Formats: sequence, C-alpha cells, structure tokens
Amino acid sequence: MSTPLRLKELSKKEDLLTGGHRLCSGCGAPIIVRQVLLAAEVPVVAANATGCLEVSTSIFPYTAWKIPWIHSAFENAAATISGVEAMYKALKRKGKIDRKIKFIAFGGDGGTYDIGFQSLSGAMERGHDIVYICYDNGAYMNTGIQRSSATPLGANTTTSPAGSVIPGKLQPRKNLTKIMAAHGIPYVAQTTPAHWRDLMTKVRKALDVDGPAFINVLASCNRGWRTPTNTTIQDTKLAVETCYWPLYEYENGRLKINYKPKEKKPIVEFLKTQGRFKHLFSPGNEHILEKIQELVDAEWEALLREESLYSEEG
Amino acid sequence: MNKRVLMKGNEVIAEAAIRAGCRFYAGYPITPQNEIPEYMSKRMPEVGGVFIQAESELAAINMVFGASAAGARAMTSSSSPGISLKQEGISFLVGAELPAVIVNMQRGGPGLGNISGSQQDYFQAVKGGGHGDYKLLVYAPFNHQELWSLTMRAFDRADEYRNPVMILADGVLGQMMEPFTPTDYNPPELPPKDWVLDGCKGRPPRVIKSLYLGEGELERHTRKLFSKYKKMKEKDVLYESYETEDADLVIAAFGIAARVCLSAVRMLREKGCRVGLFRPITLFPFPEKEIQEIASAGKRFLVVELNMGQMVEDVKLSVNGMTEVSFYGRTGGSMIFPEEIVQEAERML
Repeated sequence: MSTPLRLKELSKKEDLLTGGHRLCSGCGAPIIVRQVLLAAEVPVVAANATGCLEVSTSIFPYTAWKIPWIHSAFENAAATISGVEAMYKALKRKGKIDRKIKFIAFGGDGGTYDIGFQSLSGAMERGHDIVYICYDNGAYMNTGIQRSSATPLGANTTTSPAGSVIPGKLQPRKNLTKIMAAHGIPYVAQTTPAHWRDLMTKVRKALDVDGPAFINVLASCNRGWRTPTNTTIQDTKLAVETCYWPLYEYENGRLKINYKPKEKKPIVEFLKTQGRFKHLFSPGNEHILEKIQELVDAEWEALLREESLYSEEG
Repeated sequence: MNKRVLMKGNEVIAEAAIRAGCRFYAGYPITPQNEIPEYMSKRMPEVGGVFIQAESELAAINMVFGASAAGARAMTSSSSPGISLKQEGISFLVGAELPAVIVNMQRGGPGLGNISGSQQDYFQAVKGGGHGDYKLLVYAPFNHQELWSLTMRAFDRADEYRNPVMILADGVLGQMMEPFTPTDYNPPELPPKDWVLDGCKGRPPRVIKSLYLGEGELERHTRKLFSKYKKMKEKDVLYESYETEDADLVIAAFGIAARVCLSAVRMLREKGCRVGLFRPITLFPFPEKEIQEIASAGKRFLVVELNMGQMVEDVKLSVNGMTEVSFYGRTGGSMIFPEEIVQEAERML
C-alpha cells in the first residue's frame, strides 16, 4: 500500500535528496526533486542532465542523492536513461533481475526545451518506460542567466538584455508541455512545487504508467527571476493563480485541468514581484504587458475549450 | 594614440571581432566563455549586426555556416565540450571553403571535466578535431593585447584562405581582466568574395558544397585545401623568442602556460641559468623551422603545457631526434606555478 499523500505520513519517509547540497537557498529544483522522490513508492534510478541541479548535488566526493544516479552531458539525459532502462528490461527478460525499478530523468529547461529536446523526443517515441521531469526556471541559470526557449516574453536575461530599444526577450516561450502531449505518450502533466499534493499525485501516475511520461514543473530561481529567497512557493503559486502556468494533465491523450482559479489574477501580479520583468513597468512598455496577458488568456481559453470537448464526449 | 583600457578577456575578443567587421555571431551558453555571447547580445544590435543564441552548439556552428555562405564575417565561440559538439560543422566549413572564426576558451576535460582553464584541446584544434583531412589556422594568444590583435587577424586570414580560423585560448585568459591598448583595425587587401551566395540575378549561379562524388573529384579538392595549408606554413607562422640566443635550455610553451614560463625564465636568469622561452603563437602552422634551428644549435627543450603532453609531440617532430626534449605538464584545470618550472629546469641543467 502506498503512503497516503498527507504531510504527517510523508514526513516519516526518508528524504532521498539530502540537505547539504550547494543549490541556492530558495531554489525550486531541490524542492521539486524531494517531492518527486517522496512520491515514489518503488525504487528509482535517476539520470540528471548537466545543470545547476547536477553540479550542486554531486561535487565529488560528495553526493546528495540516496538513489542510484547517473550524469552525462547536457543534451542527453533522456538518451542516457533510455540506455539504463533498456538494459534493465534486458536483464529482467533474462531473469537476472526481478525487482520492479522505475527510471526518472531530471533536466532543466535549457537541457530539455533546447539542446536536450532531440534526445527527449526520441526517448518518448521509442516508448521507454521512463519519467522525464523538467524543472523549468526559464533560463540557463547555471551559466549566468542566458535566455532559453522557456524564457517568457519580455524577460531580462544576460543574452536578451533589456535596454532603451529592445525590451528584453522578444519571443514568447515554447509550450513544451503541449509538444510532449503531441507525442501521444501515456502521461503528460504540468505542475509546480507550491502544489505539492498535485505534484506528487502526478509523479505517482507517471511512475504507474507502462511507457514514457513527461512532467513539466515550474521552478523559481531567485538569481534569475530576481526574487527574494523566501518567496519560491508564493511565486510559483502566483503562476498558477494568474494562469501563466496552469495545472493540467493528459492521461492517454485526454486533457484534464486540475485547478481552475475562482478568480483569475491579472498576469502583472506574477510579473511585478520579479526583477527580470521590472523594465516592463516603465512607461512605453505597456504593450508588452498587454501582449503577455493576451498570450496567457489565449492559452488558458484554449485549454478550457479543449477540456470541454472531452466532457461533451462524456 | 589609443588609450589603454581594462577589460575582461572574453569581452576583448567580442569587441575586437566587432571592430574587425564581424556582423554575425551565434553562440550558446557554456562556462567560461559566457561573456562573449552576453557582450554580443548587447553590442551587435548597436552596430546593425546579428546576435543569435542558438538552441545548441550544433545549431550555432551551422548558423555560422549559413551566414558565411551569405558573405558575412561570422563568428561563434564556446568552451571545450561545446567545441566537441561543433566539430562536424567545422569540418563542413573547411570542406565548403567557408571563412569563419571559432573561439575555444578551453576548460578542463575530458567529459564535463571542470570549468577552470586548460590546454587539453591542442590536438583537437591542431590535428583536425572533426572528420576528414583538414587543418584550421590556430592562434594561441597569451595576453589581452593578443586576444585583441589575433581576433582581428583571424577574420582577415579566414577570408584570405576561405578557411575557418580558431582562437585557442583558455578560461583563465577569458575570465581575467588586464589592461591593453585597443589598436585600430586596418583592413588589408583581400581577395574579392566572388563566391558568396547573395542572389544570382544577372550572373551565373554559384555553388558552395563539401560533397564530391565524382571519380577523383574529392582527392583534387583535398589537394587544393592542402595547397592552402602549404601557403599558411610559408607565410603565416607566428612565434616569439625570449632570451633563447645564449640559452642552454629552451622552454617551449603556448598561451597561458607561456606566461607562467616567462616568470620562470626571469627567475632562472636571476639565478644565472641560461634559459630562454620559445612561444609558438600559431599552433598551425607550427614554427617547425625555428624549432629546428634552436635544436641544431644543440640547445635542449623543456615543453610546458596545461595538459598531459600534446604540443610536445610537434616539438619532437620538429626536433627530429637532434636534441633532448622533456615535458612538464599540469592538467585537469590545475594552474602551474613558476617555481615548479624552475625546479624542473634546474633538474635538467
């Protein structure tokens, strides 16, 4: 029987990512990883793409991971875990291993949306029994806050600098969760560390399916977002309340929105707490704020419409 | 007279590229070279140039391929693991005879290694890191003045030979600040870019390719490439000698290691030891003749590198058994100290 998703019960479980790692205080990534590993009820093996999470949790000879863990280059966490999973299946077939083991890959947005996208897409198509978890903090934070294809429109980064002529990043972010859903894999979801029960439920579903699953988790980064170190949970919660980062899932191709705010907050509520959007509140940049609101509204309404199609089917 | 300025090495390269007419830059984040794309993202729009952050190193080098074919002075930069990813594109640039400047701010390897400076990519840069028989012209700057001047020169040589040029520096040079004089860029006389794909209205179409399937076609093409390398060997060798004339022992080193060796040579001279420094500035073409001359005068060599021994093989090939060649190296992003070199030299003397 699995541990009930209640704090009292969960607090009795062993943390599989220990403290003492070197990630910044307030970093979203380790909060996500701890929740993921707490949710798992079977032994897991993790692959980790190069990035903050990998560097800061594995400075030799130390490791914060109490599970088997494998690191390769930046662009191939999904390929590496594919190899591990394929070998596990082969050993199982030969009767050399009989335990049920699950395989998880962790990558940041740079290693998932950009350079790692090819290996991610390939692993999903081949149908490996793996869960890929992206912690998306919206830029290459490990190398000094360069823009990625997950960086939102208007954000100030070191390679999309906001100046008097160019107001930060000119392109909206890529909608990776939808792209992964388009792979037609058994399970795809989007969540945040602020919604721990939602996140852990989704991880359990993802681990439960036979085949590939993908979960996109919004992670704040106080270095890149220019936020205080104690507002990680508030900030990621605001992303959901403004419908910037809706909580939803695709189970066997069917969309379900897991949370609909009673009162959808304006996107500026999410933007104004973050220094990376500070310039958008200067005179002359109102149109960008409007554009961001339009993009958020369009995505949210499209999700609502899509979900209603399934409910009509019954 | 231009005023001396204080700048970070990576930014020196980026600004020098822009002054030399680079108007296309594509890059991707990797430490310790991030200041190059960051600087380009700010500066390129100011000069009407293009900055693109690619989705990977593969994309960046192939964007350079496209921009170069269209006639732009194009550049990309990265650090060791990222340069490994670019190798296929570099080989294609050479095959298609497209000029480009590629900067490698080396870090420790193999694998993810670490992010400190290193010289472990000498072989990759000099012997042809990608597939096929080819060479890059490789510059090894050792201070910010050279980062500036060699970056400018790299664009000229790339255009002259229609061949990519690599700047092989390292994380230490890239990350440190030091004063230098930003000299003006004086464009030399260069062959016209009569091969550029810029629209064939009113002229016959042009072809840029690296695929040669006809009988003997590829061999002819490769021999043509090698005639360019021969020309580079004749007229593009750069090096610096320091107190080698009366020396019994000559330390040979390039880039950041040569800076440390220079301190060691001064310390040894103070002790009365007859030691000099020979510093190749071009790693290809390699200063073979100059090394032969030193060797034929009976002087011995101590090669010092921040790797397990790479340039030492080229020194030995040049010396060809005429004299003793020893090696001292530190690797994996470790810095070398002048005292270590002094000790090593004294052991040899």
